[in-house]
Amino acid sequence: MMHSSQTFTAFMTKVAIVHVAVLLLLVGASRSYGAADQQALSAEETYKLGERMYREGILPSGEPMQAFVSGDVPVSGTSFTCVSCHLRSGLGSIEGEVSTPPANGRILYLPREPYIKGYEHVPSYHNYAVYFPTRPAYTDDTLAELITSGVDPAGRSVIKAMPIYDLNDQDMAILIAYLKTLSAQPSPGVSDSEIKFATVIVEGTDPVAVASMLAPLEFGIARKNSLTTASSANDRVARMGYNMLGPDLLQKKFSLTRWVLKGPSSTWRSQLDAYYQAEPVFALLGGISAGDWEPVHRFCEENQIPDLLPIVDYPVISDHDWYTLYFSRGVRQEGESAARYLHGMYDLIKDRAIVQVSRDSREGRALADGFRATWADTGHPAAIDIVLKEGEQFSQQRLQQIITELKPAALIVWDDGAALEAFAGLPDMADRPGVILASGTFVGKALWTIPEQLRGLLSFTYPYRLPQDDIRFDALALKVLPGKKTSDYDQKIIRQSYITNELLGKALMDMRGEYYRDFFFDTIGMMPDAYYPLYERVGFGPGQRYASKGCFIVQLGKGENPQLERRSEWVTR
Amino acid sequence: MMVQRLTRMPRIFTILLAILLMAGSDAGASKYKRSIENVVIPDVVLVNQQGEKVRLKSLLESDQPVLVDFIYATCTTICPILSAGFANFQRELGPETKNARLVSITIDPENDTPAAMKEYLERYQAQPGWDFLTGSRQDVDRVMKAFNAYFRSKMDHQPLSFIRSQEDGKWIRLYGLMSSSDLMKEFQQRGGK
Ligand code: HEC
Repeated sequence: MMHSSQTFTAFMTKVAIVHVAVLLLLVGASRSYGAADQQALSAEETYKLGERMYREGILPSGEPMQAFVSGDVPVSGTSFTCVSCHLRSGLGSIEGEVSTPPANGRILYLPREPYIKGYEHVPSYHNYAVYFPTRPAYTDDTLAELITSGVDPAGRSVIKAMPIYDLNDQDMAILIAYLKTLSAQPSPGVSDSEIKFATVIVEGTDPVAVASMLAPLEFGIARKNSLTTASSANDRVARMGYNMLGPDLLQKKFSLTRWVLKGPSSTWRSQLDAYYQAEPVFALLGGISAGDWEPVHRFCEENQIPDLLPIVDYPVISDHDWYTLYFSRGVRQEGESAARYLHGMYDLIKDRAIVQVSRDSREGRALADGFRATWADTGHPAAIDIVLKEGEQFSQQRLQQIITELKPAALIVWDDGAALEAFAGLPDMADRPGVILASGTFVGKALWTIPEQLRGLLSFTYPYRLPQDDIRFDALALKVLPGKKTSDYDQKIIRQSYITNELLGKALMDMRGEYYRDFFFDTIGMMPDAYYPLYERVGFGPGQRYASKGCFIVQLGKGENPQLERRSEWVTR
Repeated sequence: MMVQRLTRMPRIFTILLAILLMAGSDAGASKYKRSIENVVIPDVVLVNQQGEKVRLKSLLESDQPVLVDFIYATCTTICPILSAGFANFQRELGPETKNARLVSITIDPENDTPAAMKEYLERYQAQPGWDFLTGSRQDVDRVMKAFNAYFRSKMDHQPLSFIRSQEDGKWIRLYGLMSSSDLMKEFQQRGGK
């Protein structure tokens, strides 16, 4: 194996000296990368091995792939590999001025024109092809040559941005076989005339919440479908629709089915399987649950069905799962940000105690877990944990006892609004903790009723843009509720679903007719951060799965109609 | 090592051919733009991959030469190449690695936690002397602006590296995906030498 510290020049010189004579004899030898080379492997094994090269940079032998970038920089496949640049779908990426073309067989084995066929006249279409010169179609041989030497079939060198790889014939055959499977067959749920979506609703969820999740999605879909209908009758509409959406997306109607899950969450999986079997959809949009979501997440993972932004408090937290994009890390995220915030002021806390009081409920546990994990990550000894059992009130006496016995420098209370009563006597207490933190969302409406003398003493995690700053998005939210009263809806959920609708539209327009599930999320991963309602910043980045990643620390301001006031910048975990 | 099997050779030959052809054209040569900048480092405190607070001014205005780039952990194409360049730079300096300080600053502070940055550096087999820094969005924005490298969104990202000479405190700004030898050449020529 090539040692990675070896420079490219040294490698080439050695190759040249030892082998030039032999090479000259072999120039005419022909090679093939067809299935014949891999008799020993089943199609499934070949696929898995190819996927491992493409996604993890590991050769079938288990060794890392070896590459050179920018002509002479040696790099191991475990630092990065094909997927880092060509993305999961193989359909490429665009970042700033650097564009990476598709690397899937279907597109490689066609000549590249300056335009994507069928989209020559669609101004809104994102066209990677303009960044690259034309080239003839690849064959197995010229593709292998590109990968090992960086010369494309037009004779152009691509080594400035594309690494070259040291692969033997068998490994090359496996890799090429994998490239041929990438984004090869259109994903289920898409036909010439339709794209099918579904949304998962857990029965028993607050009907206002459900209606608020559905309204923006249904509005978006109805608007799209009426454009399609109108354009078949009216030339001007047709031209406008064509310019905006291209011929293909314009003619497709969208549908959204509701998949309602009943009963205990242990039975959801079979319900989901049945729904899916009856109607294979391209993707899930939104979805809503006040509690569990894990079975839906697993269903999507195993069937490779994207779910765009379900409205849930308890998302599955994972570094490697792919098929669900969440708004945030859920309730837990406030606990994580609280830990990060305290870490930032650790100079004030030093060796003094930190006490975390948490309600023994799903919400309390999620917050406490988030805090604990991030607090440990930042290298601090564990906080003192106090758990409030069901029915146990966080009282003034309990607070007094904690302060007297433990003298904490910081006190965190993960409980609902009723716990705020414990703080009534706080202004007069000796040895008050320097920081008292609670969750703005768990405390809920009680946040707005905190008496004046306590407002400067209690701080809250708040995972959204402050309400007074979000007012400017009210008009947008209204747009998706034509003829309806906004007050009939949940303001937070309307805003969330508004974002889902926006991202869906933008993604489909950027996908240039390539309806592949992996490309759907690759495309969203490449979108610039955007300023949307509710969240300070919504951005994914390739492979990222939680759009909004932090909190503000806030206090309630003074006066009769107080506003929330920021006590921190946006604190991430 | 390497060529054990004869069947591989024709391809190796094409590499040679490619190198020969490239010598005559600029097709594969790394083209980059170079300029000299005065950078006023803002006095911000950032956080490194160990979760330690780092005063950026003290880190950058040291008596060692410093290389800076702007990357993020999940970035495509640009960052892999910049980081492979940094990793190789450290390898080429070998034991002298401690004589140069490499600093990567994230442009995606929301996602790049110390843990994510640590994992990233490990992936590139970074040696001590290469730090990856994050901070609040405001502080990171100030740093990007000071370097005239402000990206409104991480998706507007551009390939930029900077080299500071400890002698005159000036920064060489390098725009483009650079080969290892060009980076080394620029490093050795810093301070007008
Ligand atoms: C560091 C980013 C990066 C990595 C890693 C990478 N590529 Fe590329 N690749 C590119 C870029 C950028 C181009 C376009 C270069 C050009 O045309 O100048 C490209 C071009 C290609 C092309 C030619 C496309 C065409 O239409 O001519 C193929 C095929 C390809 N890559 C396959 C692969 C495979 C297979 C891997 C993994 C073994 C891989 N790439 C790894 C960035 C990358």
